[in-house]
Amino acid sequence: MLQTFSYVAPDSRKDLLAILNKEGTRAKILAGGTDLMVDIRGGKIAPAFVVDIKKIADLKGVSYSATEGLSIGAVTTCIELVTDKTIVAKFPIIADAASRLGSTQLRNRATIAGNICTASPCADLSCAMLALGASVEIASMTGTRIVKLADFFTGVKTTVIKADELVTRLIVAPELVNAKFGMEKLKRIKGHDLSLASVAVVKTGTLLRVALGSCAPTPIVLPDFPANAPLASILEVAGKTIKPIDDVRASKEYRKMMIMTFIEQIILRL
Amino acid sequence: MKITLTINGREYTRDIAENRTLLRFIREDLGLTGTKEGCGAGECGACTVIVNGKTMNSCLMLAAECSGAVIETIEGESESGELSKMQQAFHKHHAVQCGFCTPGMIMSVKALVKKNPKPTVHQIQEAIEGNFCRCTGYTQIIEAVQAGTDQRDEQEELRRV
Repeated sequence: MLQTFSYVAPDSRKDLLAILNKEGTRAKILAGGTDLMVDIRGGKIAPAFVVDIKKIADLKGVSYSATEGLSIGAVTTCIELVTDKTIVAKFPIIADAASRLGSTQLRNRATIAGNICTASPCADLSCAMLALGASVEIASMTGTRIVKLADFFTGVKTTVIKADELVTRLIVAPELVNAKFGMEKLKRIKGHDLSLASVAVVKTGTLLRVALGSCAPTPIVLPDFPANAPLASILEVAGKTIKPIDDVRASKEYRKMMIMTFIEQIILRL
Repeated sequence: MKITLTINGREYTRDIAENRTLLRFIREDLGLTGTKEGCGAGECGACTVIVNGKTMNSCLMLAAECSGAVIETIEGESESGELSKMQQAFHKHHAVQCGFCTPGMIMSVKALVKKNPKPTVHQIQEAIEGNFCRCTGYTQIIEAVQAGTDQRDEQEELRRV
């Protein structure tokens, strides 16, 4: 039996923000629920209100414009990211990352905003979105702000989001359309496991960007490299930046070795 | 609060507690106990049902979210009193041992086959990634899905035995 709470499902952004503004930390946002429901059941959180945001039409959908780039609505699910024609054609790294998350059942429910806002160091979509230099649009009753994803995470499962705020969409600038990419994710079994180490790299004619997961308190992105940067210099920066930990799933030495191996494999491939 | 939803072609309207999971609603309020609770955390897939055509872990959903939804559970497979083709294939190929994972497994396979009537072994594996079986070791399940999609030569198998 779950603890008691009230379920509310506003159908407009305005109503939703008013609820968040009034209830603050007493309200928790329900998108796909694949993390929230586990936390409620486990007693990690005890919200008075569970606020379902899936009835709000303008939080859905993927669109692209040459000026702004790619816009992904907060409640876009992983399976939608995997199959969306615009994403597959222009930013296939996002579809690739989403296809690696959990199981079919979880991909059918888990949302991009949920994955980002849970802010797990091993979040599957974060590396890809960091490598693409994505931004997060955040709304509250007082207005809208845009935060670079690289500045969004503040620690293990913490972000810059305040209690009265909502992530409304993710934005990827058009510069990296059709960039070459490589991704690797280490897990103990093929399906359905958390990442032990993950690497995402994008490369254009001039730029190479490396994002890393499961090797620091937050997913991280390394400073941009020129496209022809030597492998040794990339590995040196990565080695100095990561701070992997020992835990029940892997040792820090193993994580570090696999991060370095993945970077090398991807760079040699691109 | 009041919800109305369709399960296995039948419409239900019920007053529910707002913290009721879809799984508990299906099992305890409607008495459809074919769907199981394993881990309760979205790992094992025993609670898998099909919601608007997509497989989902019903333990991680609120019944309150599902008003208006069209849901399929294992009970819908044999409403006529006869096992469905896939159930018969599971039976024949010994893909059921203790049976706890089977309702969720069948739901995952059903959603796969609807999209992809002739799945490859890799596609079958991917579809049941989120359904844990601790008895059969999966081989018989994959064989059953191949048989249930007419991709096994039954005569050839008999000759091998």
